[in-house]
Amino acid sequence: MRYRPYVPYLFIAPMLLGLILFRLGPMLVSLAASFTDWNIISAPTWLGLRNYREMLSSAAFWEVLGNTSLYALFYVPGVMILGLALAVLVNQRLPGSTFFRGFFFLPYITSTVAVALVWKWIFATRFGLLNALLHAVGVDDPPSWLGDADYALVSVAVVAVWQHAGFQMLLFLAGLQNIDDGLREAARIDGATEFQIFRRITLPLLSPVTFFILIISLIASSQTFEVTYALTGGGPQRASTTLAFYIYQNAFVHFRMGYASALAYVLLTLVGTITLVNFALRRRWVSYG
Amino acid sequence: MADVAAPLRTRATVRHRDKGMRKARRGLVVYLFLFAYAVITLVPFAWMVLTSFKEPGDVFRVPPTVSPTLLYGEEPFQNYREVLTRYSFARYLLNSLFVAGTAALGQLVTCSLAGFAFARMHFRGKNILFALVLATMLVPTEITIIPEFLLMVRLGWLDTYLPLIVPSLMIGAFGTFLLTEFFKTVPRELEDAAVIDGATPFGAYLRIFLPLAGPALASLFVIAFITNWNELLRAVLYISDSDLRTLPLGLTALQGQYESRWTLLMAGAVVSVLPMILVYLAAQKYIVRGFVSSGLK
Repeated sequence: MRYRPYVPYLFIAPMLLGLILFRLGPMLVSLAASFTDWNIISAPTWLGLRNYREMLSSAAFWEVLGNTSLYALFYVPGVMILGLALAVLVNQRLPGSTFFRGFFFLPYITSTVAVALVWKWIFATRFGLLNALLHAVGVDDPPSWLGDADYALVSVAVVAVWQHAGFQMLLFLAGLQNIDDGLREAARIDGATEFQIFRRITLPLLSPVTFFILIISLIASSQTFEVTYALTGGGPQRASTTLAFYIYQNAFVHFRMGYASALAYVLLTLVGTITLVNFALRRRWVSYG
Repeated sequence: MADVAAPLRTRATVRHRDKGMRKARRGLVVYLFLFAYAVITLVPFAWMVLTSFKEPGDVFRVPPTVSPTLLYGEEPFQNYREVLTRYSFARYLLNSLFVAGTAALGQLVTCSLAGFAFARMHFRGKNILFALVLATMLVPTEITIIPEFLLMVRLGWLDTYLPLIVPSLMIGAFGTFLLTEFFKTVPRELEDAAVIDGATPFGAYLRIFLPLAGPALASLFVIAFITNWNELLRAVLYISDSDLRTLPLGLTALQGQYESRWTLLMAGAVVSVLPMILVYLAAQKYIVRGFVSSGLK
């Protein structure tokens, strides 16, 4: 094809404009904003590192950071183990497997607000489905889940795991289907049990996919917003407020744009560091055959 | 002689039967787990639908009743009628359709244009720009949303559909990646044939490459449609005019207003979930394929 040198830029112009207006530009603006005090209405004033220093001495920030870690500890292993288990189950290729695969994915494509709402109703203290079931099996005093500081965060994580497990299943399934059946067959002939085959052959061969899913699950857990918004609003008090939700509250409820931007950069740095650490540790358990 | 071999043979058959039994038993266990998790997947949806067909008083019974009482009455769709008309969910439905539809169509245009250039043309800075597009997929919304909000305020776009459509339409990082990869697979000869016929790059893009990309475009469209349909944060930030609410926003507003009217809320939830389930059933192949490649980018 022959064309003038500027022609390709015409093709990418809309995307390039979007990249500048909605990604690169905003990233720089919020970095700058993180050093200021800014409530939208009046002009920002320069604070230097004061926003970051305020964080370090703020009990709320540390509580939220603790919640964020705890949430990741529930969510990441939960969604990954469930996703892998479901992938192994539907990969048995029994009649109906395709149906189950399609069905398990359903929660992922439905509106988080809508499914969170029905979970809220399931978790309801007095008239909810869950506590009715618990009563039926003899638990006399079940907790009020979303209203209880000890259970709110884990309840939010449960809903997120329920909604995302089907997606992780698909990713694991794609990985499982790439594994050569011959290896497993050979091990079977040598008398290996199914569990040994899974442990010694399937898991190591799956490890690059597992690594990738670990990274995206960590990123997803750091960005959780909608489930929290619809289920608990971060409460009771701050019990289920994670960093992403705290950023939203600071920016758009308290209009502390500068402080929220600083929090956002802390989030980015944390997620970036964890991702890099994971990449560094990758050699220890990920095998690229 | 046969007598010597007989025990061996029996043992072999026994082992064979054993293996068959073990296989059947394993199949049974697998089905047991599959059904168990299918129930866990189904219960919230079932509870949503059942509750949407109950009378308001039914939801406060202890223990909860399963029976959708309205279905036996004179007006089974009472909650739906109320939520669609009195609480404007019919309007929200149209808003959501419009917003998700335009954003998804727009993404097809911008992503396919950019994908074509990245895959089939040469220009300075191509690799860096492509890497930048991909890298922005990983930047969390929390970082960019505050300046984006201020930009929308400046542009005077609050309480219009534009902030729900334009950013999503212009930043299709995943879509660009998907289509770039696809356009790379188109054989060189097809392009050459077009060039001999005197086609400009745009002509080749429009008449040769786009028609070939049908399945990839379909995947991208449904994924973009679903993502935009479910978008909450931007709707919360940019829309305060109740006529412009999308379904997720309408649902949270209804929840804030009528915390305990579960029958209405569940009817609203069904209205926002059902269209996506239908889209999913109709285009499952494209959706599954697209989401897998969006994950395995």
